[in-house]
Amino acid sequence: MSKPSSFSLRGRKALLVIKDERDASIVKRQFERLGIDIVASEPGGVIGGRPDIALVDDEFLPLASPAQRKFLAGCPIIALVGTETPSRLKLVLELDPASFLIKPLRSAGIYAALVMALEKNERTNELKQQVFKLEQRLRSRRIVLAAVLQVMHSRALAEPAAFALIRRTAMEQRKTIEEISAEITMNGCLPRAG
Amino acid sequence: MTKPSIPVGIICSQHGPYQAMGREILKSTLMAVDEINNQAEFDFTVTAHVRDPRGVIAEYHTVCDDLIRNVGVEHIIGCYTSASRKQVLPIVERTDRLLWYPARYEGFECSDNVIYVGASPNHNVLPLVRYVLDNLSREIFCVGSNYVWTWETNRVTRELVTASGGRIVAERLLELGESAVGHIVDEIVRRRPPVVFNTLVGSSSYDFIRAFHAATTAAGLDIPMLSCSLCEPELKIVGSASAGCITSSAYFESIRLPENRAFVARWKARYGDDSSPSVDGQSAYVAVYLLARALQRAGASNIGEVRRAAAGFRYNSPQGPVWIDGGNNHCVLTPRLAVSNADGQFDIFWEADAPVKPDPYLTQLDVAVSPARDGASPNAPHLRVVK
Repeated sequence: MSKPSSFSLRGRKALLVIKDERDASIVKRQFERLGIDIVASEPGGVIGGRPDIALVDDEFLPLASPAQRKFLAGCPIIALVGTETPSRLKLVLELDPASFLIKPLRSAGIYAALVMALEKNERTNELKQQVFKLEQRLRSRRIVLAAVLQVMHSRALAEPAAFALIRRTAMEQRKTIEEISAEITMNGCLPRAG
Repeated sequence: MTKPSIPVGIICSQHGPYQAMGREILKSTLMAVDEINNQAEFDFTVTAHVRDPRGVIAEYHTVCDDLIRNVGVEHIIGCYTSASRKQVLPIVERTDRLLWYPARYEGFECSDNVIYVGASPNHNVLPLVRYVLDNLSREIFCVGSNYVWTWETNRVTRELVTASGGRIVAERLLELGESAVGHIVDEIVRRRPPVVFNTLVGSSSYDFIRAFHAATTAAGLDIPMLSCSLCEPELKIVGSASAGCITSSAYFESIRLPENRAFVARWKARYGDDSSPSVDGQSAYVAVYLLARALQRAGASNIGEVRRAAAGFRYNSPQGPVWIDGGNNHCVLTPRLAVSNADGQFDIFWEADAPVKPDPYLTQLDVAVSPARDGASPNAPHLRVVK
């Protein structure tokens, strides 16, 4: 299934944590136009489903409720900023917002902030996955090195030839070099072709 | 007893690259104002305060500020390009005035201080592109003016074309007012795309259509041209080269409705038998009537009351029934497709079964779905190809 475009907001679920009634009504009106469903619109309110995005008023910072913090984890946040003082911005930054809007709100800007937040969240998640993979590969370098040394010793090969052999075996068996290396170090020899 | 007069600002560029359209908007606006001032059903008259920003973008801010600060208008009718609307938007929002914007535009805006009377993107771009994908080709060559209307129209076109398995052959942009179109026409003749989508505006478009027609005729090519903006006064400016352009619009002079016949007759009586109303001009005419009727219903010129009075109030306009969707301040109207003929008119070959709700953020658009069969999008069984 292809991922939804960040430009298409119909059917997305939003959590609103907004203090000012006028700001809240502007957001709700714009969400109606964009086809966004609101899962909760008050701090600590009953959550009607996992939100795709959250709008958090800086009036509620720092977030005291563990329930709120739990629901905001992994969800892109748009911070609603009323005061640009460093002390307030420090609290906003603790939320790690994906985008922001300046209060008092107007309909203009909300769509752009939503699109940017969703897109930034998407890219950040991709980046996190990439970092996770790289960290895993880094951790397995020791195993790869051990496997190369073992093959060098058992087959009387130089290091480049030993590594090439491991790589070829991994490709033939449709496994990663790290997986094959783990098998070599465990079994003491190159696995036979399956 | 003398009726009280309500001042209304009119912002139309009568000079610069899109002066022809600005003049058409002004002519229609003044015609509507005169009609309203002579009708007993209105217990007020409208005084039009006309300003000409001359197509200079920074001037829009200046003339809007003058109208609000010095004339004291609550309502302004006008602006043509989105860039000009964006110039006046901060002032009308800050001072809580209402801009009645007549032009069709690319969408993705929804100010409480603007009534969008022209077509939304789901009214013009979607029916045209879906018609092309269903009936002509899945490959489109795009040429347009380098500004937001073209950028967004091309973006939507690309999404629809790509989702259908087709491709955009090329995307060529010219600066507003640019007349050097030869290299693009040469490329079209060389590459022979099945369809050309023209989103150029003003004089650039006229130059391009003439050069395109001359070059494709000389090369023996029959490449259909598409437009979302071409109108009757422009067909006259371009001349015979303008025939055969497939155009998407909410208004054509050839609409067969009694309200339109009467409107065209009044127009010709006022501006001459050889002249024609345009889509944006007719839309400005509609805007004046929507404003006047809202003022009459609201009994005040306070913009909140007028906006509420305008919402949902059906007006049988020359283009057919229209009303403002109170949810997004855009106009509910009937999309149509037509092809321009050698007489400087359009032959309409498709129209939606009923007025279509505006979708300025294209919230209902699902590019992965094949063209809808819901009466709001054209499809082959309903088409009557006009030669």
